[in-house]
Amino acid sequence: MSEGAVHLLQLLASGVVTGGIYSLVALGFVIVYKSTRVINFATGEFMMLGAFFAWTVMVGLKAPFFVAVAAAIFASALLGVLTERLVLRPLLGQRTISIIMVTIGLAAVFRGLAQIAWSGEYRSFPPIFPRAPIELGPIVLPSRQFYPFLIAVAAIAVVGIGFRFTRTGTAMRATADDQAAAFAMGIDIRRVYALSWSLAAMTAAVAGIVVGVLGAISPQLGAIGLRTFPVVILGGLDSIPGALVGGVTIGVLENLAGGYLDPLLDGTSVKEVLPFLVLVIVLMIRPYGLFGTREVERL
Amino acid sequence: MIIGNYKQTYASDEAVFRTPTVRWWMAALGIAVIAFPFVAGDYLLYLANLIGVLALAALGLNVLIGFTGQVSLGHAAFMGVGAYATAILATRLGAPFWISVPAGGLAACGAGMVVGVPSLRIKGLYLAIATVAAQVIFEWVFTNWTPVTGGIRGINVPPARILGVPLADDLRLYFLIQGVVAVHYLLASNLRRSRWGRAFVAVRDRDIAAEIVGVNIFQTKILAFMVSSYYAGVAGGLWVYFMKVVTPENFPLSLSIQYLAIVVVGGLGSIPGTILGTVFMTLVPEWLKLGTGLAGAAWPDAGSYLFPLRDVAFGSLIVVFLIFEPHGLIEMWNRLKRFFALWPFEK
Amino acid sequence: MIGRKSAAILLVALSTALPPPARGAEDVITIGACQPITGRFAFAGVNLNAAFQDFVAYANEKGLVKGKKLVYVFEDSGYDTDRALACFKRLMAQYSPAIMYGESTGLGKAIAPELTSRYKVLYGSASFSSELADPKTHPYSFVSGPTYSDQFGILLEYIARNKGAARPKVAFFYSDTEFGKDPIAFGRKRAAELGIDLVAEIVTKVGAVDVTSEVLQLKKTQPDYVIFQGYVLAPIPEVIRAARDFGLKSRFMGTFWSMDRTVIDKLGKDADGYMGVNAYAYYYEDSAPGIAAMRAYNQKVHPDEKYRPSSYIQGWFTGMVYVEAINRVLAAKKPVTGDNLAAALDSIKDWDTGGVTGKVTFVDHKAGVGRVYRANTEKGQFEPASDWIYVK
Repeated sequence: MSEGAVHLLQLLASGVVTGGIYSLVALGFVIVYKSTRVINFATGEFMMLGAFFAWTVMVGLKAPFFVAVAAAIFASALLGVLTERLVLRPLLGQRTISIIMVTIGLAAVFRGLAQIAWSGEYRSFPPIFPRAPIELGPIVLPSRQFYPFLIAVAAIAVVGIGFRFTRTGTAMRATADDQAAAFAMGIDIRRVYALSWSLAAMTAAVAGIVVGVLGAISPQLGAIGLRTFPVVILGGLDSIPGALVGGVTIGVLENLAGGYLDPLLDGTSVKEVLPFLVLVIVLMIRPYGLFGTREVERL
Repeated sequence: MIIGNYKQTYASDEAVFRTPTVRWWMAALGIAVIAFPFVAGDYLLYLANLIGVLALAALGLNVLIGFTGQVSLGHAAFMGVGAYATAILATRLGAPFWISVPAGGLAACGAGMVVGVPSLRIKGLYLAIATVAAQVIFEWVFTNWTPVTGGIRGINVPPARILGVPLADDLRLYFLIQGVVAVHYLLASNLRRSRWGRAFVAVRDRDIAAEIVGVNIFQTKILAFMVSSYYAGVAGGLWVYFMKVVTPENFPLSLSIQYLAIVVVGGLGSIPGTILGTVFMTLVPEWLKLGTGLAGAAWPDAGSYLFPLRDVAFGSLIVVFLIFEPHGLIEMWNRLKRFFALWPFEK
Repeated sequence: MIGRKSAAILLVALSTALPPPARGAEDVITIGACQPITGRFAFAGVNLNAAFQDFVAYANEKGLVKGKKLVYVFEDSGYDTDRALACFKRLMAQYSPAIMYGESTGLGKAIAPELTSRYKVLYGSASFSSELADPKTHPYSFVSGPTYSDQFGILLEYIARNKGAARPKVAFFYSDTEFGKDPIAFGRKRAAELGIDLVAEIVTKVGAVDVTSEVLQLKKTQPDYVIFQGYVLAPIPEVIRAARDFGLKSRFMGTFWSMDRTVIDKLGKDADGYMGVNAYAYYYEDSAPGIAAMRAYNQKVHPDEKYRPSSYIQGWFTGMVYVEAINRVLAAKKPVTGDNLAAALDSIKDWDTGGVTGKVTFVDHKAGVGRVYRANTEKGQFEPASDWIYVK
């Protein structure tokens, strides 16, 4: 295979792997939006707390990785329920700006508390996965990226199947579609809300652990939450397959830009800003994304 | 106690300050503002200037969100556009501040027009996300368009000059900043009462109904963006003369969020609320500092918790205000006034 | 109505009234500092602050400044230029120190006009930015050692001295911040002067999560050396690990802030061959009497602290510079003011620091001396790979 072709394939493969991780982060946004029409600006901070919980259990209590992950998921689920009950419930029905602001405020509170509890130092997980990279023919995938990618895909699959085939998942979809009708059918809306938030928090925790394995854990870990806006807009704010497709697309686009455009530019890099340009373009031509449901405004 | 308010001429009916009581208070305010720098220390003066600049930009955001209902998370970027435009004119062309600052405002206005164009098709949440993207893109341009913006080093700006006298310290700058702020607040007040102001509010409340009644939604929204970013741009220009240097790191997303918090806490759609919000949000970190300073006696480490506590306080204030006082500080003030209007006759 | 403004302004005036500034006694010299104890630079700020506190106590104990006591006051500035500016003004208003220390390039630049026209105090900072080492525009600021450009110069010198037959190939890998871009223009020039080919310039955000496309670019251009700038930790380990995965043979180098032991800790075996330039000696170097004194003091006062990172040593060294400048001013029987201190600084030539760093001569308000170190992964330490290198 020619060198150029290998280069391209490598970029694509790495793009898919990174994109899978973006998809997992995006999943946190999508779950909340799908059920409650709220965009959770604190998704990144839920991720960060999940990562810190897992790290504390793993390093402080010397527990194995899976135990730490389970503990983090459990703690995050609780956090999600508490958030929904104390902060979001009183604001039901208020205007968009208020809900956006409240999640932003929550994000700041989480960041501050994390800094107080764990200080601003960068922490990392002890080595969890084997060091050797995965080689698929001429393509090399670093182990620290590949295994988290597998975790991400597994998590997305579990959530996707859950939404589609379980009763609870159907109840959540029904609530998202038409609250009044769902209520009339006997679905407990409040339970659905609480469940959605706790599920979103759990997903965010797994995403946070994944990102923590890749890089380092610090109270600033949540900053990646913002980078996933292009993903959810591209995929559609309320679509789980959309999060997957959007994530992979953005990951691939980033890598292609990094691989082909950045070498042409000395002293600067478009890799980081390109997804946001894509976001703007998508908003102009197809605001609901590839798979999102079109919102119809009723007077 | 005021029983009635009777006007005999159209002019007095249309006046901004309608009763003698208000006019007396405004005069007292003016005197207090003018006298303030002579009694306040260095640090308070610095704070007052900072509050002035922030209040101006926040008012622009309030016009956009409070009056017109368009959510924007990119306000800091417009401030940056104004700041850079001012800095470039001041250093490359040697323009005096009374040209470069309004020019900064106009540059930001243009940027606002560009960002506002998609707002016809997208609303609410999607618009908010689009403004986040605009913020990120503008920041990238500030950092990387080196021949124009000086790249990561930024631009150093000499102090403003009036009649040859450099406004090199906070005291002299104070009058310039507060003067500009006062003028713009009056302008906003008038805007609110004008035809365009009513169009803004109509678009916020029920835009489709407004369209039926004959309001041109697109023009109204674009105008809102333009006015809002003009205010941000002028604030950016003043900022440049205040800080004497502009770098791309001065206008991050967190600043946009801070403006949002100011507007929400002060009171959406309320002009005096914007000032209250700005003063409050700027003073809270100072009070926290006093608090941790006092706690430092018992807890030597208290000082290092100051910044995370600021984050916690900032976030909690937003959450608490949104849950318990969604109309902001101005509503608390109005309630207080209403209470005292009839006290002690009514409980 | 705008009438609320009066209440608001009165609130401001009343609630934040500060006590009048305490005028210090004549035999006390105050050093003020805005330290980044929280925020992105917290790992450094905490150590810098500890170092200043320790050194001031040490200097008072040993009577390093004849007849005067040093007092150290500090505040947290969170690595945020606005807060740092507010902190600076507050400290100046409250304590009128003769010497100030700041956290970053941003603060150094923002305070420069007022520092020159009004405050006139000696100003040191944690930043090694070349912008602050310009006596014409920043007459009161100095850099505690070599600027980033100097550090690049030292590394490029080392590469040029150790090259084989062919022209060495080098890549610059830096962040898109002030910190990252500061020495790059100089680096390009110097590489050309030394006959080194700059084959790639790679820019990323500071906490970049995915560095595959960047490492692939390295793979394409095959540099002999890759110099990092503008990072403290992330994404250096990711880049080095990915490079090894892709079979790259390049050697990685870093400048001051990325030469901390944590790099070796995080990388383990992958840190083999990692090199860089440090302005100061390391805490565990037994051959330096200055370091030994530092260790002895820590042993006495903080027996639990087994190791002090480079940021601590920078703080300690800056304290040494302040004391040296103060002593020179006192020896010349002049008052301790910013102008005299700055002049005293300029007079420091071939000053022996007891091995904390090389022989210090301040030219253009910086001291271009550093040493190249190499990682020893067995011991988990950096070991000297060269002698003290001096650059202009």
